[in-house]
Amino acid sequence: MIFLFIIVPLVMASLLPLVGKISKRFLPDLLANATMLFLLVYAVVSARPLVAGGGVVQQAFWFGAPLNIRLLLDGFSLFMLFTISLVSFTVTLYSIDYMEHYGAKADYYALLLLMIAGMNGLVLASDLFNIYIFLEVAAIASYALVAFGRGHDELEASFKYLMLSAVASAFILLSIAIIFALTGGVSFGTVAHGLETLNVRFVVGFCSALFLMGFGLKAALVPFHSWLPDAHPSAPAPISAMLSGVLIKVSGVYAMMRVFLNVFGLTPALTTILSILGIASIFVGALAALGQNDIKRMLAYSSISQIGYVVLGFAIGTPLGILGGLFHLFNHALFKSLLFLNAGAIERSTGTRSLDKMGGLAKVMPVTAGTSAVGSLSIAGVPPLNGFWSKLLIIIALVQAKMVALAVLAVLGSVVTLWYYLVLQHQAFFGKLNESWKAVKEAPFWMSASTILLALLCIAVGLAFPVVIHSWLQPAADILGKGVGVAMSFIGF
Amino acid sequence: MLHLSLLIGLVAFSILAVLIRDLLKSAISLAVASVFLAVLFFEMNAVYAGVFEVSVVAGLITVLFITAIALTRGDGDVVESRRHLAVFPLFFLALAVIDILVMKRLLGRIPAMVNPESGTFADVLWNQRTFDLVGQIGAIFAGVLAVLALFRRGEKDAGHESPRGDAPLAGGQPPAGDAALMGRQPHTGDAALMGRQPQGGSHE
Repeated sequence: MIFLFIIVPLVMASLLPLVGKISKRFLPDLLANATMLFLLVYAVVSARPLVAGGGVVQQAFWFGAPLNIRLLLDGFSLFMLFTISLVSFTVTLYSIDYMEHYGAKADYYALLLLMIAGMNGLVLASDLFNIYIFLEVAAIASYALVAFGRGHDELEASFKYLMLSAVASAFILLSIAIIFALTGGVSFGTVAHGLETLNVRFVVGFCSALFLMGFGLKAALVPFHSWLPDAHPSAPAPISAMLSGVLIKVSGVYAMMRVFLNVFGLTPALTTILSILGIASIFVGALAALGQNDIKRMLAYSSISQIGYVVLGFAIGTPLGILGGLFHLFNHALFKSLLFLNAGAIERSTGTRSLDKMGGLAKVMPVTAGTSAVGSLSIAGVPPLNGFWSKLLIIIALVQAKMVALAVLAVLGSVVTLWYYLVLQHQAFFGKLNESWKAVKEAPFWMSASTILLALLCIAVGLAFPVVIHSWLQPAADILGKGVGVAMSFIGF
Repeated sequence: MLHLSLLIGLVAFSILAVLIRDLLKSAISLAVASVFLAVLFFEMNAVYAGVFEVSVVAGLITVLFITAIALTRGDGDVVESRRHLAVFPLFFLALAVIDILVMKRLLGRIPAMVNPESGTFADVLWNQRTFDLVGQIGAIFAGVLAVLALFRRGEKDAGHESPRGDAPLAGGQPPAGDAALMGRQPHTGDAALMGRQPQGGSHE
């Protein structure tokens, strides 16, 4: 039952604060990790066969009685569920050790589970207003998680994030209200059908602009990115990994692409605007990352840059472009989570995020250094790691679509990415070990286990990319490639 | 004419809420703006929206704001940028021009609604929008948990400090401890959340 993807984390989130009264650490750790593992296994084993025929709209039941809840599960939503579950599982593993010193572990896991319930609800939603509601669930939980450390920087970053996110929500809500006034409904099918029968291109263009600003803010696309370099570094490392790894993709990229490709239909104007925003994000993010001394801030700017690649892939609109965008989305979820978790391990061991003060840490933190090297080379697009293949697909798709200038710019962006990740590796891990760090030890077991798992996944996906494409990415790309036909086929459900 | 007066009142008190520096007066201006909006809702037959606007936004939220302000001590030495006083009217004028030029034309192009999703309030809320209710439960729950988590007592205050375990701190570095890990000054505690200057841990 697809509803379990939402109800299980929601119920566990309500139980965890109570469990926290009995056991401060062991039971919250166990229950949170068990829930994430269940969601991951459930996505792979039970949900995957359901999308074999293209997708299903499933009604939810409560103790045998049918509820008026219809969830849409197709290749695209399953791919997102799998990505969310995978990253969430590694993040909760890492949190076992990392969150020890923050206190209130049960509350932390409860908020994390609520954020996951919100994201799962968003990707399973079959109407625009459901998307908005679950976007808010994930967002509210994420504001609290960014401020979880309760320091001045965390609170300031969370407040800034909250304010800009509220602006994004207002744009999205206004657009949904206009769409409702136009079509008399908010379900994907009703909206797609209504817009096709009405000649309201001007109004649809206006609504698209509102969605672009709203979801663009959530995805931190340039020029809507100013909140991200504050919010993501300020959060605890596992939350930075969740925000950069999945939240910006679910509440920004997924929602935007679902609406633009499957409900409104991709127009040449949208393609042009998204391509420009994608390329601008690649360069603004990469050049800003180059000048950073704070390791987490560098990674945050890098997220803006890599989201640019994802959006650029989708913007091309060709099957290969969409496939490349999806593949880079998945890969970025893996390597950016890995890099943020590594940054957290360094900060935990040394007490600093400043690259200037690091140096030679590979001698005392070999696991963190090794996994960080894998993550950096992957994100820079070095073969045969996973990032190489996804960037290659996007660049080939650009050339095929006769967007050669954009292809050249995308390659240049990748070179800049390689540059600043080499700087990061050099300053943090290589060279002479700073005297101050002689007593530093490697990250504890669960933190290392989590980063090793992600690094192995980066390598495995790079080596076995045809299998990943065939089993997870192609069904998702097919759904996006079908355009508004997908929403139309669900009319009446 | 009544609608126009209500809209002008709504916009005027909203602007006051943004520009007034006194938090209490600002909160009251927001409540008055909300009352104007509620009357507009009533005028436009959106009775339930009007009731919620008056009771929740103008009532409950204003009470929460005023309670929070009452718990906050004034800080005379906080210097705020006054740039927004110059920038705000420019943005407001630009948006007003866009509103007049674009929105009227835009809304004029919206055809009469075809087969709107309709029903009684209860029917829409409980039967048609059940999934939204699940989301609302999640959103409210997230808010409650956020308050619990952000206003928690520190582990030290609760008398069960976590063992340092294997969190080695390099020689020569200042003791990172929980405070450094969390990027905060020791003893800031809840004071930072309430906008107060840290006064040590006594209030905890």
